[in-house]
Amino acid sequence: MELSKEQQTELTRIAVKAGQILHQHGAESRLVEQTTQRLGTALGAQSIELSVSSDSIVITSLFNGNCITTTRRCYDRGINMQMVCEVQRLCVMAEKQLMDAGQVKERLQRLKPMKYNRWLVVLMIGFSCASFSHFFGGDLPVYITTFFASAGAMILRQELAHRHHNPFVNFASAAFVATSISSLGVIYDFGEEPQIAMAACVLLLVPGFPLINAVSDMLKGHISTGIARWVFATLLSISVAIGIVASMTLTGVVGWIN
Amino acid sequence: MELLKLLVIDAWFAWIPAVGFAMVFNVPKKMLIYCAVGGAFAHSLRYLLMHFGIPIEWATLAASSSMGFVGLYWSRKHLIPRPVFTVASIIPMIPGSYAFTTIIGIVELNSGGYSLELMQVIVENGLRTLFILGALSFGLALPSILIYRGRPIV
Repeated sequence: MELSKEQQTELTRIAVKAGQILHQHGAESRLVEQTTQRLGTALGAQSIELSVSSDSIVITSLFNGNCITTTRRCYDRGINMQMVCEVQRLCVMAEKQLMDAGQVKERLQRLKPMKYNRWLVVLMIGFSCASFSHFFGGDLPVYITTFFASAGAMILRQELAHRHHNPFVNFASAAFVATSISSLGVIYDFGEEPQIAMAACVLLLVPGFPLINAVSDMLKGHISTGIARWVFATLLSISVAIGIVASMTLTGVVGWIN
Repeated sequence: MELLKLLVIDAWFAWIPAVGFAMVFNVPKKMLIYCAVGGAFAHSLRYLLMHFGIPIEWATLAASSSMGFVGLYWSRKHLIPRPVFTVASIIPMIPGSYAFTTIIGIVELNSGGYSLELMQVIVENGLRTLFILGALSFGLALPSILIYRGRPIV
């Protein structure tokens, strides 16, 4: 297969677009690297060299001694596994020669992030945190308190995320709201151990995906990306803790450390 | 029989957070059922192991590595990257409560002054968070570390 200069530029752009989408929607670095390289070689490049950092990717394609390098900044668009699945599927199809460069480009541009109905998510997150309260040994009244506290926090979180507020501000205010609602349970003595609701209702704000991604990046050799993700997740947890402490100081209800 | 009942209750309460968080991560609709099965399986396996007196860190490692291999099978079958199922499935086991206790303890340490009890709470919870989290991620990464070294899984 012979590539002209234009074709090679086009191929590089397609590959970097795929990598950018993966990075923005929360794929781990190894997946970004592998998928971009496979897509590039499937479309005809001899090799693809890729450097993934925490907020940008740099890619170079090689063909018969010609190098083309391009950089893309990757702003966080929120975790979306459906986009990661779609890009992966395109990569597999290009590898099996079911699609040429033009088709891959068109499909990549058409991709739209799928979002679940927000009220359905609020309901499920309410039940999730309520289930956590069961694991901590809470009874039915605690279950109910946790449900409402975490559902309220989730509504606020979605609302702030929709308006592109800073994630740290977002998480701190959501933690504040959740702790305040659940401290009502302690004030009115609702259930056997109402403090459990205060511990369970903020668990929707645990940055689980960044933490897992951070450790698996570090395990697979992307140390600097892993450290960046780890610091981000730690800062999120700290802002959640600040929100909790602010609410506990204001209401005077102590639910965490006695 | 009593143990079986406890396991079923545990599995029932574990699939709900797995699916709830899978929806926050926008996992495709067809894959939600796998997240539910994975979450119930992994958490009840950890419950079973802890019931027999295995420490929480090792039980977590066993549960997450078996989830890693189950995820490997599903991902080969459906041609979908592994984190789509595996991360949502282990979300019920993430030590969020320990992590927040640690940081709130640090905040208290600043405002209320040093005390030995508080320091004990911080160190114990912090170390437990780190080790459980390490066990979770390491367990999930095992298939690609041991079997698919540098090769793509799908």
